[in-house]
Amino acid sequence: MIAVIGLVLGVVAGLLIEPTVPANLQPYLPIAVVAALDALFGGLRAYLDGIFDERVFLTSFLSNVVVAALIVFLGDQLGVGSQMTTAVIVVLGIRIFSNAASIRRHLFKA
Amino acid sequence: MSRRHAEALPVREADASMTLLKEVDRRPLDPGYQEAADRRAAGTAPRRTVVSAIGLLVLAVALGMFATTSATALRRPAPAAIQARALLEAEIRERTAQADELRVLNADLSAQIAQLQGRAAATDDPELFAQLQHDAVPAGVVPVSGPGLRIVVTDGDEEAVADDIGALVLDVDLQILVNGLWAAGAEAVALNGERVISTTAIRSAGDAVLIDSTPLSSPYTVEAIGDAATMQTRMARQYAGQHLASLAGYGIDVQVSAQRMLELPGRGQLTLRSARVLGGDDADAGTGTAGATSDPGPTPSDVAGSGSPDGEEAP
Repeated sequence: MIAVIGLVLGVVAGLLIEPTVPANLQPYLPIAVVAALDALFGGLRAYLDGIFDERVFLTSFLSNVVVAALIVFLGDQLGVGSQMTTAVIVVLGIRIFSNAASIRRHLFKA
Repeated sequence: MSRRHAEALPVREADASMTLLKEVDRRPLDPGYQEAADRRAAGTAPRRTVVSAIGLLVLAVALGMFATTSATALRRPAPAAIQARALLEAEIRERTAQADELRVLNADLSAQIAQLQGRAAATDDPELFAQLQHDAVPAGVVPVSGPGLRIVVTDGDEEAVADDIGALVLDVDLQILVNGLWAAGAEAVALNGERVISTTAIRSAGDAVLIDSTPLSSPYTVEAIGDAATMQTRMARQYAGQHLASLAGYGIDVQVSAQRMLELPGRGQLTLRSARVLGGDDADAGTGTAGATSDPGPTPSDVAGSGSPDGEEAP
């Protein structure tokens, strides 16, 4: 419950305050957003499975975002930034898809 | 023998080399959820304290804010790029205005120079002054007016250009046209309001056609002062006429019309690049009268066409 309330508060605060993102972080935003989506879908599925845990949800959220951004950053430094982005997107995309499929089975029993 | 050997080996799964893909596909949920649930069921889960609850709340708020900020930042175009663009645009406008101002100033000054030179020559050497007046017209330094031909050449429409790049008017087309007009007896020629003189260059830079260093764009209007009927018939007999006719095949629109009155601007003062004393007369050596300086009179000369201009359209 705390996690959901906190997230909602954060979203509202973000919409109201509209903080600016530093320019050198800009390239990692898309990947971070996809990672956040993956954590959200994972949390929703866990909730429907009846094993949701706030601590796990928030830590997976944080680590997903940080690790995804780090991998892309590392890729940029090695000159394979776009390929790294593709790799991360593929992995996270597959996870999002299968979690979404599991959620669908829970909700529609089909 | 071989059978016993096989039993001794550990059993290998057929897709053992694809553990990574299997991991991604079959266990998309973070195993942490299951472990936490197991711990709760076993009663070994750590007890929730106020501190950990506050920590969770802060983390959740931060993550929610981060996600929202990222999403909004991605949705709007980069402000830095827009600012840079606006700055460049403003700079371009400012510089263009400056260039225009300088051009006007330049024209003013060259008119003044011409006037002063004309006055000096008129008093010192009336014969030379008359010669200069006469030469100013073919040299193109003074504005002229009179009857003549107007030829408008227009690029094909976007579809035609996308279809065939030949639908664009090239520098060669305009060169052939202008040279054809000179050959057909034109006394003065202007291209899009820029007077064409003996040193004028018409050339391409990328997709643009330049006259000297001024970029032109379609439609290209070529105006020539002279006897319209004569020029038209002579043009038709020359290569330039055939070339113009062939342009239509590429989707380029060519309109030829005789005009009762055309006004062509002057080129302004010419830059003196080399000079030589005429006749080697010692008396003239000090003043350095140069053949290349063309000296316009203060008023535009009227170049009258010999034939009667008719306003009919060419076929």
